[in-house]
Amino acid sequence: MVPDSLVLAVLVPLGSLVAIVALSLLARSLGLGSDVRLRDPDEARALAQAADCAFRPTAISLDRAGLGALLADDGGQVILLRRHGARFVARLLTSHQGIQLERQFLRFALPEPGFEPITLDLGAEAQHWAASLRRLGDHAGARNEGLA
Amino acid sequence: MTGFDPIPFAIPGFVLLIALEMAWARRRDPLAYEPRDTFVSLMLGLGSVIAGLLTAGIVLDLGTWLYGFRFATLGWAWWTWLACFLLDDLAYYLWHRAAHRVRWFWAAHVNHHSSQHYNLSTALRQPWTGFLSASFAFRLPIVLLGFPPAMLITCGALNLIYQFWIHTTAIGRMPRWFEAVFNTPSHHRVHHAVEAPYLDRNYAGVLIVWDRLFGTFQRERDDLTIHFGIVRQLGTFNLLLAAFHEWLAIAADVWRAPWRAKLGYVFGPPGWSHDGSRRSSADIKRLWREPGP
Repeated sequence: MVPDSLVLAVLVPLGSLVAIVALSLLARSLGLGSDVRLRDPDEARALAQAADCAFRPTAISLDRAGLGALLADDGGQVILLRRHGARFVARLLTSHQGIQLERQFLRFALPEPGFEPITLDLGAEAQHWAASLRRLGDHAGARNEGLA
Repeated sequence: MTGFDPIPFAIPGFVLLIALEMAWARRRDPLAYEPRDTFVSLMLGLGSVIAGLLTAGIVLDLGTWLYGFRFATLGWAWWTWLACFLLDDLAYYLWHRAAHRVRWFWAAHVNHHSSQHYNLSTALRQPWTGFLSASFAFRLPIVLLGFPPAMLITCGALNLIYQFWIHTTAIGRMPRWFEAVFNTPSHHRVHHAVEAPYLDRNYAGVLIVWDRLFGTFQRERDDLTIHFGIVRQLGTFNLLLAAFHEWLAIAADVWRAPWRAKLGYVFGPPGWSHDGSRRSSADIKRLWREPGP
């Protein structure tokens, strides 16, 4: 006869796995976490300041589709906002490594495991941002890990 | 006696309540859930259960061994259950406080905080490496006092089950008397927020009175919009990175740090650095209080 504890040890993980798949499918079928976009610069500012309360952006450019944004302060610090699921994540840029300019597009492939690349359509402002980002140097993301 | 663990029996209730909260979210707040985030949270929960099954024997054996050195034999009376529950809740508070102030403990606990969503699935987002970070050590003194390890296991499980329902934005505030005594969705939203005034606040498990008593209580403010997660958001739905990213970061920091600073990256507060290039929660709070230019 199989001990009860062994039954629990097998049934609980297996049953839980079935429930996990079912709940994930339910969330998808209900349309939860649907398409989220940045509405305006104020929203981008609030998100950047949630990531770094001392950051006071003086220049903000939104991706034309609202998938991300670049923000800079007077001290030359630049924060990248990128959509992540139904939320946004912020990264303080410390290097121009992994950043490429193609006409009005800036592509960011940061040297960080798991951080998906993003391409921002910044229109005519892309050239200006590219010049700013080149000044960051090529230090491999020291402050990029700077926020706890 | 090995103790009754009610968590496996609570799982169907967890699943049902998550489904109900999803139905609520569809009507009231469709962004409250994100399917990939939910999947990662629930898989972290499952992994935590499996890790717990693998290490439970060691922890129970250690507790039973320590019980042999107990100061008293308190038995199974109703009042010992009550006392055990209260002491276990205090031990939870102390562990939780350490888990936010010592990077070694934080490396495991960060799993619970790394979702940018705050819903019932977040409650099940539990660490895989709790045993490695020795979180059980905070409860062992209760066994030495004379409470049976089996009783402690049951009380700890009931504490975790209580905390499930407080991970939601669907409930505003409970009645005042309840908010004064118990941990609630409002109090715990503060705990999961990244806003500076909310960092390192409201560590309670069941009773919020511990935070009030030890000066770590913060009421939820109506003038602050909460962003949930960690100060440096994870930014990935990769399950393995979600489970181990802080341990990997500790290893990388220790590898790069000068010898005199290596232990600081393991046992210092999260965000500590030997050259001041990073920010701990204390630094963030100080910056937030300083007037802007």
